[in-house]
Amino acid sequence: MTATVTFTSGFARKYTNGVREFEVEAANLRGVIREMEKLFPGLGHTLEEETNVAINGELHETGYFQAVPPGAEVFFIPRIEGG
Amino acid sequence: MNDSTIVTDSVKRFKWVGTRPIRPDGVPKVTGRAMYGADLKLPGMIYGKILRSPHAHALIKKIDTSKAAALPGVKAVVTAADLPEQKNEFIGPERVAVNFWHVTRNILAREKALYEGHAIAAVAATSASIAEEAASLIEVTYEVLPHVIDVDEAMKPGAPLLFEDMIPRGLAEPNPKPSNISKRLEFVMGDIEKGFASADVVIEKEFTTAAVHQGYIEPHACVAKMEADGQGEIWSSSQGHFQMRALTAKILGCKIGDLRVTPAEIGGGFGGKTVTYLEPVAALLSKKSGLPVRLQMTREDVFKGSGPTSGSSMWAKVGVTKDGKIVAADAIFKFQAGAFPGSPVMNACLCAYSPYDIANARAVGYDVVSNRPKSAAYRAPGSPIGHYAVESVIDMCAKAIGMDPLELRIKNVASIGVPTIAGPKHAHAGFMETLQALKAHPAYANPPTGPNQGRGVAIGYWFNGGGESSATMQVNADGTVLVATGSPDIGGSRASMAIMAAETLGVDYNRVRAIVADTGTVGYTHVTGGSRVTFATGMAVVDATKAVIKDACKRAAMIWDVDPEGVVWEDGFAKPAGANVGDFKPLSLAEIAGKAAATGGPITASAGVNAGAQAPGFAAHFVDVEVDPETGRVDILKYVAAQDVGRAIHPSYVEGQIQGGVVQGIGWALNEEYIYNAKGLLDNAGFLDYRCPVASDIPMIDTILVEVPNPVHPYGAKGVGEANICPPMAAIANAIESATKTRMTHLPMSPPRVLAAMDAGQK
Repeated sequence: MTATVTFTSGFARKYTNGVREFEVEAANLRGVIREMEKLFPGLGHTLEEETNVAINGELHETGYFQAVPPGAEVFFIPRIEGG
Repeated sequence: MNDSTIVTDSVKRFKWVGTRPIRPDGVPKVTGRAMYGADLKLPGMIYGKILRSPHAHALIKKIDTSKAAALPGVKAVVTAADLPEQKNEFIGPERVAVNFWHVTRNILAREKALYEGHAIAAVAATSASIAEEAASLIEVTYEVLPHVIDVDEAMKPGAPLLFEDMIPRGLAEPNPKPSNISKRLEFVMGDIEKGFASADVVIEKEFTTAAVHQGYIEPHACVAKMEADGQGEIWSSSQGHFQMRALTAKILGCKIGDLRVTPAEIGGGFGGKTVTYLEPVAALLSKKSGLPVRLQMTREDVFKGSGPTSGSSMWAKVGVTKDGKIVAADAIFKFQAGAFPGSPVMNACLCAYSPYDIANARAVGYDVVSNRPKSAAYRAPGSPIGHYAVESVIDMCAKAIGMDPLELRIKNVASIGVPTIAGPKHAHAGFMETLQALKAHPAYANPPTGPNQGRGVAIGYWFNGGGESSATMQVNADGTVLVATGSPDIGGSRASMAIMAAETLGVDYNRVRAIVADTGTVGYTHVTGGSRVTFATGMAVVDATKAVIKDACKRAAMIWDVDPEGVVWEDGFAKPAGANVGDFKPLSLAEIAGKAAATGGPITASAGVNAGAQAPGFAAHFVDVEVDPETGRVDILKYVAAQDVGRAIHPSYVEGQIQGGVVQGIGWALNEEYIYNAKGLLDNAGFLDYRCPVASDIPMIDTILVEVPNPVHPYGAKGVGEANICPPMAAIANAIESATKTRMTHLPMSPPRVLAAMDAGQK
């Protein structure tokens, strides 16, 4: 199942040579992280430690267990903390 | 009395959710018997005192503790030399900027004192007065350095540097020089230049805001008891005892499992008690002395040594068409981080435009250190500051095109599918419903008409949080139920957890007791912050309750000697699923619990979640003010606050959250500020001179609870604690402008500043 993975421009500059969008085959976030790790070794750890993720707009802590529906937009953003 | 309205289109009715039972923590609090951080006294306990820097910026040449250590009654003296060094690296998220090299230096200074009040050393003695005297005997040799307080001054080349080797992150220029700028952030969508070119009206303005403190009533306090085998216990008032355990273990260099932290009752936090100041020092003093140690801050310590939220310097620019469509927006946010990196500037960048559908937008943020206490989270950290600038300029746009400011927001509000500046598209409804509810408030049609009176409107957005939470449910022999969670209760969570458990289980609310459990008796739970507890911990409670129901059905099947699939749970009773199962009288939870031993032992269940898909918070306010032209004093005549609350589990608490956020926003808007003198010393470290609003300053705040449930949560809950503090500053500034034709661009809008701006004809 294909999902579109997107990064912010700043994150892309730092970790993916400026490329912001990727198409990956994955059924859950574990698969997404693994695919990104294959493309950019070390990126998987960074995604796990430094980002939150929006799957079709729904915010989650970046983990393994969240399902990624077919055609989903997966957007990694800097982690947010509240007061 | 609260003039509260609940706007809901829900057809679902609940027995307990949405009701207003008496709060379970009420009696101990009003009778003075609740145990706060400073109330615990252990046998053999001694008293700690921290020596703090009298200078804004100074090299620490030498610390001589010999005289203090020799004073009779003194049991321990510690400095940073007693703590292990930490690596200088940013671990984890950029926003939190957890760099333990910084954290340990904030807890006890090493090479430099970086702000007045910076902790330098600590003592513990058999009485508080001996500890105080001993602290005064510690001799510190300082070399005073030039200091910098203001964020714009701190960014200039040649400013005194707090860290001579700190290279800014995120700058476009190659090989940047060391600076007080910790990092630069930029978020962009669309084409800014093209957007502004299509605007009929473009307005830009600069703004500044003062650092403000959360103003919690209870100063930080803890008791630590370390044993000779390295294990220890801490009793602490905080927003997250698991967080205190993890931070303390890392600072001390011990294992997380060696520490057990028990949450005390908490007298307010608002974000300021998500970080640790005292716990590692108390543990260190206890380890050295072999005795339990109590450490607590004075009010002056709180102001000087704990983190307020950032002050700022900002610029915002908005372009709008004549018919009220916002076509472009741009902003620069420069935030004081305090003495160490880590302001909430990213949140300002991400929240300021999120309520709107704006195709072309940019937000640039700078995180800047200066000789102030390290900033800490404060209710929707960062978002209210950014909203003040952007909502002020949007108000100017509405006035420039002659459009009602609420209509302008309605015309531009974001809906599901609209992208945010961070990239993800909005996935939840509730913004438009909230704006329409505010517009429908009877008072909106009647703006103030008296001399020097005016109305202001503003809106606010906050992400809200989810994340990790745990809950345990135990069924007692009489069928009463205990619900234990790891979320310190700062906003009524014990009541809301008990309500959700009672609703799910189908039992009377008064048969459910909710407690906040220590780190040794419930699973990991993230801090009470980010408006996450009712949502995330509530999901854990519902999951644990469902597990208990499943077990109770199994027990009933055993009692009836039928197949477990033949039992269903309805309204608090186990019942046969159908006539074919048999003719059995429904069993109550008490009857099933009475047979617990016979059916397999205690009935108990735990659940842990990492909750996601939380909906954001959205608030829309209007305020009517009157400005005294002789003094510049601003009186709040009327305040109406609408907020999308998902579903109000306990409406009284939700109303209280909204009113509390508004009151804090009024203080931020009109009076509160850290005032520094020419030496970089804080001149108003107490509530007499740091002016928080009191009851006589404000009218009753009308609340409108707009219920647009989050479908992901079993009862539709959304976080409600933070979005409410985002609009007040801009709403009040906009109202002052309506009343006086004077645009206030600095917070606080205190009487002297309002008067000066009016006299200057500031537009």
